Amino acid sequence: MAWRIRALISGLAFIGLSSCGPEEGSLFESRSAKSSGISFENTQTPTEDLNILDYLYFYNGGGVALGDINNDGLVDVFLSGNQTPNALYLNQGNLQFEDISQTAGVQGQSSWNTGATMADVNGDGLLDIYVCAVVGLNGFDGHNELYVNQGNGKFTEESANYGLDFDTYASSSVFFDYDGDGDLDLYLLNHAVHTQESYGKASLRMQRNYETGDRLLRNENGHFEDVSEAAGIFGGVNGYGLGISVADFNQDGWPDIYIGNDFHEDDYYYLNQGNGSFQEALRENFGHTTRFSMGSDAADINHDGLVDLISLDMLPYNEKVLKSSDGDDNVQTQKMRIEHFGYHYQFTRNMLHPNQGKHGFSETALMSGVAATDWSWSALFSDFDQDGNEDLYISNGIPKRPNDLDFIRFVSSDQIKKKINNTKLVDQKALEMMPSGLAINQFFQGDGKLHFNERTDWVGRDSTVSGATAYGDLDNDGDLDLVINNLNAPPSILINKTDAQGHYLKISPRFKGKNPFGLGTKAYAFHKDKMWYKELYPNRGFQASSEPILHFGLGAIEQLDSVRIIWPNHSYQTLTAVKTNHHLTISPEDTQPWNYASTESKNLLFTQVNDQLGLNFEHEEDNYTDFNRQKLIPYQISDRGPAVALGDLNHDGLTDIYFGGSKRKRSQTFLQTESGFIRSDFTNLAQDSIKEDVAAHIADFNGDGKQDILIGSGGGDYYKQMKPLTDSYFVSEKSGFALSDLPESFQNASVIAPFDFDADGDLDVFIGNQAVTNDFGRMPSCQLLRNDNGHFEEIPLPETNQIGMVTDAVWSDFDADGTEDLIIVGEWMAPLFFKNKGGILEKVNPLSDNPIGLWQSLVPFDMDQDGDTDYILGNWGLNSKFTASEKYPLRMYYADFDDNGQTETIVATAKDNNYYPLLSFDELSSQLVSLKKEYTSYKSFGGTSMEALLKKIAPASKPQVFEVSELRSGYLKNENGRFEFVAFDDPIQIAPIMDFCIYDFDHDGTLEVLAAGNYFGVTPLHGRLDGFSGALIEPDGHIRETHNLGLDLKNLSVRHLNLLAFNEKQFLLVTLNNAKAQIYQLK
Amino acid sequence: MRMNTIKSYGMLLAVLLLGISCDSPKKQIDISPEDLHNSVDRVTEIMIHDIFSPPVASRIFAYPNIGAYEVMALANQDYQSLVGQVTDLTPIPVPTDTTGLNYPLAALITHIDLSRRLIFSEEMLTSYRDSLYAVWETQNPTSFMTSKTYGLTVADHIAAWMDKDNYKQTRTMPKFSVNTDDPSRWQPTPPAYMDGIEPSWNKIRPFLIDSAAQFKPIPPPPFSMEPGTDFYKEVKEVYDISLEITEKGDDSEEIKIAQFWDCNPYVSVTRGHLMFATKKITPGAHWIGITKIASRKSGYGFNETLFAYTKTSMAIADAFISCWDEKYRSNLIRPETLINQYFDDQWEPVLQTPPFPEYTSGHSVVSGAAGLTLTSIFGDDFAFDDDTEEPYGLGTRSFQSFNAAADEAAISRMYGGIHYRAAVEVGVDQGRNLGQFVIDKLKMRK
Repeated sequence: MAWRIRALISGLAFIGLSSCGPEEGSLFESRSAKSSGISFENTQTPTEDLNILDYLYFYNGGGVALGDINNDGLVDVFLSGNQTPNALYLNQGNLQFEDISQTAGVQGQSSWNTGATMADVNGDGLLDIYVCAVVGLNGFDGHNELYVNQGNGKFTEESANYGLDFDTYASSSVFFDYDGDGDLDLYLLNHAVHTQESYGKASLRMQRNYETGDRLLRNENGHFEDVSEAAGIFGGVNGYGLGISVADFNQDGWPDIYIGNDFHEDDYYYLNQGNGSFQEALRENFGHTTRFSMGSDAADINHDGLVDLISLDMLPYNEKVLKSSDGDDNVQTQKMRIEHFGYHYQFTRNMLHPNQGKHGFSETALMSGVAATDWSWSALFSDFDQDGNEDLYISNGIPKRPNDLDFIRFVSSDQIKKKINNTKLVDQKALEMMPSGLAINQFFQGDGKLHFNERTDWVGRDSTVSGATAYGDLDNDGDLDLVINNLNAPPSILINKTDAQGHYLKISPRFKGKNPFGLGTKAYAFHKDKMWYKELYPNRGFQASSEPILHFGLGAIEQLDSVRIIWPNHSYQTLTAVKTNHHLTISPEDTQPWNYASTESKNLLFTQVNDQLGLNFEHEEDNYTDFNRQKLIPYQISDRGPAVALGDLNHDGLTDIYFGGSKRKRSQTFLQTESGFIRSDFTNLAQDSIKEDVAAHIADFNGDGKQDILIGSGGGDYYKQMKPLTDSYFVSEKSGFALSDLPESFQNASVIAPFDFDADGDLDVFIGNQAVTNDFGRMPSCQLLRNDNGHFEEIPLPETNQIGMVTDAVWSDFDADGTEDLIIVGEWMAPLFFKNKGGILEKVNPLSDNPIGLWQSLVPFDMDQDGDTDYILGNWGLNSKFTASEKYPLRMYYADFDDNGQTETIVATAKDNNYYPLLSFDELSSQLVSLKKEYTSYKSFGGTSMEALLKKIAPASKPQVFEVSELRSGYLKNENGRFEFVAFDDPIQIAPIMDFCIYDFDHDGTLEVLAAGNYFGVTPLHGRLDGFSGALIEPDGHIRETHNLGLDLKNLSVRHLNLLAFNEKQFLLVTLNNAKAQIYQLK
Repeated sequence: MRMNTIKSYGMLLAVLLLGISCDSPKKQIDISPEDLHNSVDRVTEIMIHDIFSPPVASRIFAYPNIGAYEVMALANQDYQSLVGQVTDLTPIPVPTDTTGLNYPLAALITHIDLSRRLIFSEEMLTSYRDSLYAVWETQNPTSFMTSKTYGLTVADHIAAWMDKDNYKQTRTMPKFSVNTDDPSRWQPTPPAYMDGIEPSWNKIRPFLIDSAAQFKPIPPPPFSMEPGTDFYKEVKEVYDISLEITEKGDDSEEIKIAQFWDCNPYVSVTRGHLMFATKKITPGAHWIGITKIASRKSGYGFNETLFAYTKTSMAIADAFISCWDEKYRSNLIRPETLINQYFDDQWEPVLQTPPFPEYTSGHSVVSGAAGLTLTSIFGDDFAFDDDTEEPYGLGTRSFQSFNAAADEAAISRMYGGIHYRAAVEVGVDQGRNLGQFVIDKLKMRK
């Protein structure tokens, strides 16, 4: 006993030591608030009537606003407290602050203050302060307060005069000039408290609610009029508004708004129509969003002149926390929420949305490394280290984790059930059972593309619950410092030590009229071929406003070639040869009108054909969900169709098209005529509808001069020796097609690759199979069928039994010996090469490394223009929860873990040098019930490594382990017959690449490879792999995304790309899963 | 329940505190019916903690009782083995060593050990078991060891039989497929929108009935939301009843009845980010509780008590199999979904809708079967005060007979807003038909 007490004391001493005194990071020094003269602390006092149970946003904290309120050139600090008085600190230089809260008259009257903002509301050249309040809930009274700056260190509360004394559930406010009339209007963000007992229809947002509905307020000569309804702003009872970002997202000159809503309500994306109204267009512009949306920020992170967006959620990284926390919906619940209740795709993780201008947003948080930062509140993009690229700061933490599964399942019931029902008092003991949600604030260093690296070294480790955060140059040394409003602790003041190591440019726009601070001003900085772009909207992150300046980090650049300022009134001026390390104050001078339309790309290589040339094929996937049957598999196998095949089916010399149908859906045939394609099904083909057609090929297989058709069946639903799993062989007859014999194979086919490999004059066929139904993980075998006068006979292919889950194959002469060889790719395997030695295939390995991938597609192409054939490979991509490297490959364990005659798979990924199962305890134990005996709490399961887990399950037969070491798409570079894998650049890695198409799309005399993909057959754990528009891969490896070229395939799941000649013009046929096929005319 | 637990702990403590003189004469280890009650109660508590769904809970009650019963019947001429009566059960091994063999003790050890295998949180049971073991060992080590060895041997035997009832296989069987395009098809309900539980429970080997479909009920009224149709009227009736009793208030008899028979093991509650669950016993556990009350009231000894538990728990388990067979045959949508769609999108039932299809009502089937089975044991004219739900703050209700209690349990589901009339009325009949079959088939008392 005694030693335990000693240990406790020494432990306390340690904590004491580590928490006193400022902490040093490599980039930021933590200043103690007290030594700076900032004595504010947002102390919360939970009572019987007011705690996390009574008020769901009890822990959201106060606000912070930075700005120079007395125009002395020093940034002052305003902090709002929930239950404590607000505080205003005057910057006296040398990081010393004077508390003028009392004399300034900004301490506030409201019971519960939230977000704070500084803005010159009346346009007199002095920053005013607006503080939101939650009113009408839990006995909270008061109203939002507007402290109008009198210019003498004093403020007067005049919210009523301005029409801004709202008594609602306000969380944040943003002043901006939405209608371009020169004064500042207001968006007021309110949050809902509606019970979560049921979702309710999404259309609830249409009915306005006083307390919870957001408001747009138009400034009419100093009085703010509610124009929400006319302006098209939702104001429903379900808008849990926590995040707001304002920016000109679509570059049309009018500020747009992104609203992050917590819980099941969709986020809103309001596009400013320029006529006083907004169009909500989330679905049209975002494939998916955060689910429990918190704070957000908007900035151009990749130097393309478009404002990108991050929205925060609450996904933990730490395994113990992750596996103890309530996670994603299951597939069916999600489907119901979307299809039945009308919500959009939402997933529990941070979302990083690179902006594609008028083509909406992609999403790359997993690929970018910023998806899981735990209970996150504020996000701020800024170039903290001034290396020329935007970095990212995220504030974190919650005093208690209410989504802790042990609390939900095991603790809460006994302890608080009665209390809640009877007295509303949370038993202190029960609260103590909720684990602490302390999580450190995080910094990520950006690379100017789409990647961020966590920099734990930038700042000392904090032990605070941090929320609202604002940046500003507190010490006027050019770099940006941070002020963080913490819960029940003094604010954190992080002083940036970059100083002169990286150069900077600060711009303070001075605009005219009622917007002297020039909110909405845009600035481009140019240096050589690099561009930086910023917009002045100081409200960023969460419940906060930052110093109203434009700050550029510029690395070693001494002088910028030019800086272009675009003023809120759509005029611009250009400064040339701008020195860096400089604070520029700039007013409109010699301005020219700025034409936003001129920035649009006109160079379209693809033009969608509206009448489709008559090819009105819509693939309809059947209702089968793999995860309902094989609950632990990593992805579906039932949605790899449809098949498409081109060929002359009616012997008229024109290319016709066959589209396969999903299970119990008819295939469709379109015959080409001079005026277009006409649907004309062949009876036998169409009637074979019970099968799911995944692969097809049209060719003359029986040598009668007419085209026959081979169809590979799959679909992942039929199992064992069920007839609909067999492939079909239809031979051309006088009036259509007749079914002919084919060796039986009861596997899910994926590819049909014909070639006369034995050079006997007829077409032989390789059929690749992807999976064995109900036994995911068992590797199917492939078939090599030798053609003998139109009859196929299976002949053994060496060493191909269970080679992997084959997805694609080509016959191509990889060794340049004049005969075509066979190359096969698939999932959980490396590309396989079979050398054709005069009709005998021999397995060889010309790979210089061993890239085991989740390969989806393969095409021969001379990437490096050196005259030999390289092979372009489509892989899974990087934007999912799968991770893989040579050192830490993705792993899949396959066995009948519970010895019940049915196999299971457990997928594991490496994290901090250890492997962990990817799925949650509930998912795993729903299949492997014995786990519930081994782990009787989520906490005990949390942090369990795969190794430890396997010891507990110990199946009768040792699990087979499959690995994936490479998830990136790329190409096999041919170096004198040896092949080395080279990965492509980022945009290609956003999603699985399902097919390629080679053509000189831009008529520059060299061929390009068009890549397309996206895939939705994953659980909400991964989200939706939907963010890839398509891209042209130039022979030099340069990647051009196609959304600006007329081809935007985001949010569509591409299966095939085919070139199609019609009336001497070239077209691209894009065949999609579960959607209408698309036709594009090529330039 | 609590009192007895405390009492037995107290006894245990006393024994431990007094210390045991090594020379004290070996006593006969006396196993009372209370020991069995305590053990059953203990398992019930653990089941609440571990959150077993009602069908799974019924299985956990049945096997330990059967194992214990077989031990008891081996040594007792008044009772007949279940071998030949219960599907695939083979005779338990005969004890090889009978030195000091205490059959009730061995039976209780079998019971505890099978329970341990069936629940998740083993340590909650093993700590209880080990304290009992310590007492018994000090009372008479030889008798304890012999009885323990035999009890565990039988537990192994029963477990081998138990493992072949398809439970393991049903874990990996397909989930219920949600298809909201079919307006009559069940879909997950607020607030947790949980998957339909145990869609393959009809694949579990029954104890007594020939097949899961043996007591297949008539189909529910054909789905139609056209006013005037039978189905529509039933939906409307649930809605109307709820309006009526909500108006009467929380103290109304109907709401009390609904809550008394709620028996939902996992009622999920969400407030903002805060979620928790209120957990109660299952319908099966409620009837096991009534069995205890009746056994005590009748002054039943250990053997009679074990007999009553065994017979009732088998009837309950088969009732769940029969009911679940129908649930995932008709896959009928719950009143909450339809009332939200057609009458009031803010409507919430008095009770939280359980996560599985509507028809027939599980509580009705189980109560019908259990009520009749208990009647066959204790008689029809058996008044009792049901305090089973006291620990959950739901008070005591008095009934004149088991069948009267079953009727109230059935109708409570309509008051609760979670079932239509057909599911309740047809459900009770389904349960009683099954119960009668069980009674007719089983020969336990000679």
